[in-house]
Amino acid sequence: MAMQMNGEVQLPAQREEVWARLNDTETLKACIPGCETLDKLSDTEFAAVATVKIGPVKARWRAKVMLSDLDPPNGYRISGEGEGGVAGFAKGGATVALAEKDGGTLMSYNVDAHIGGKLAQLGQRLVNGAAKKMADEFFANFAKAVSPPPPA
Amino acid sequence: MYAFTYHRATGLRQAGNMLGKLEDSKILAGGQTLLPTMKQRLASPANLIDLGKVDGLKGIELKGRSLVIGAMTTHSEVATSPVVQQAIPALAELASMIGDPAVRHMGTLGGSIANNDPNSDYPAALVGLGATVITTKRRIEADAFFTGLFETALEADEIITKVSFPVPKKAAYMKFRNPASRFALVGVFVAKRSSEIRVAVTGAGASGVFRVPAFEEALKKRFSPKSLEGLSIPATGLNSDIHGSAEYRAHLVGVMARRAVAKAG
Repeated sequence: MAMQMNGEVQLPAQREEVWARLNDTETLKACIPGCETLDKLSDTEFAAVATVKIGPVKARWRAKVMLSDLDPPNGYRISGEGEGGVAGFAKGGATVALAEKDGGTLMSYNVDAHIGGKLAQLGQRLVNGAAKKMADEFFANFAKAVSPPPPA
Repeated sequence: MYAFTYHRATGLRQAGNMLGKLEDSKILAGGQTLLPTMKQRLASPANLIDLGKVDGLKGIELKGRSLVIGAMTTHSEVATSPVVQQAIPALAELASMIGDPAVRHMGTLGGSIANNDPNSDYPAALVGLGATVITTKRRIEADAFFTGLFETALEADEIITKVSFPVPKKAAYMKFRNPASRFALVGVFVAKRSSEIRVAVTGAGASGVFRVPAFEEALKKRFSPKSLEGLSIPATGLNSDIHGSAEYRAHLVGVMARRAVAKAG
């Protein structure tokens, strides 16, 4: 089954800085919910292992993450394809666009996701909410990562 | 069957310690969500800590103006209790509508709210009545307990022991159920206390249970279904799936709220 969602978030950082962080392995690792490892295979490819826990369901996913349509510093597409063992499979991605706004950066995103297998069958009533929650969490984490730390 | 270790806890402190120390552990209450999930291999905890033999977690008691229900009390026990039927009939009726007989005889109050399924019934009752969740560590107001989709304020080694429901003047729960799963497509719990009116909605919100301040304000002026006429909630932030669109759910919230107010009388 497929789902789509979108959103935007205003970031208190310059566009070049945001762009650099969107391409930084450590930042991505810290922002992907439940990410355990993220290994860089090339400039645009990563191998990821993430544990996703939503309510009673807990599955460990092995995924390949790719960056494409690179247009620095305006945006790119980040996509992934993963196997969650018996839980099923998932693939999806987000098209991310960066625009200068109010001295900071407006990041807007369009997310599309497809899941199949047992999780899609049984978790149908929850998949939309869960996917939205994951995407929101990623972009919230990212916003936090690029915001300057509060004064000590 | 895959291997996991079953622990039968004999005391709350022991259960809490195990939950904190044992790797990848889960509390087993009634098991009506956890066990089917494990059978489907969608979860495979290494350790299950069964609360079934822990004393003091079951029971229903009227203490002053509050109805106190133990966390391991089953839905069926709540539904058929003369004490609940007398003090908060809406709560007994809500419990009688959860799932099917097997779920009601095994499933527990504590298990249901700890899971915080966005379509489950109890969260509406707790938030609607302004209940307090009592745990091994503290007391948590219902408004602060349910924090999102399947998320609660519970810490990793914290266990719910009971829930205290203030007895309202009037209350009613109306549920538009999914005919197959009997989960709430939309459920609205309305309660009137001397100083406060609460309207809590389950099943509709993408992040679980929520209150409707606009409905509460309108009902404060006059507690009548007429007060809600023409009022509606926006579809943003509501669930949309094969069972119903966000707009459909938004409409149902209004309909169920008016019916609940009418029923509360």
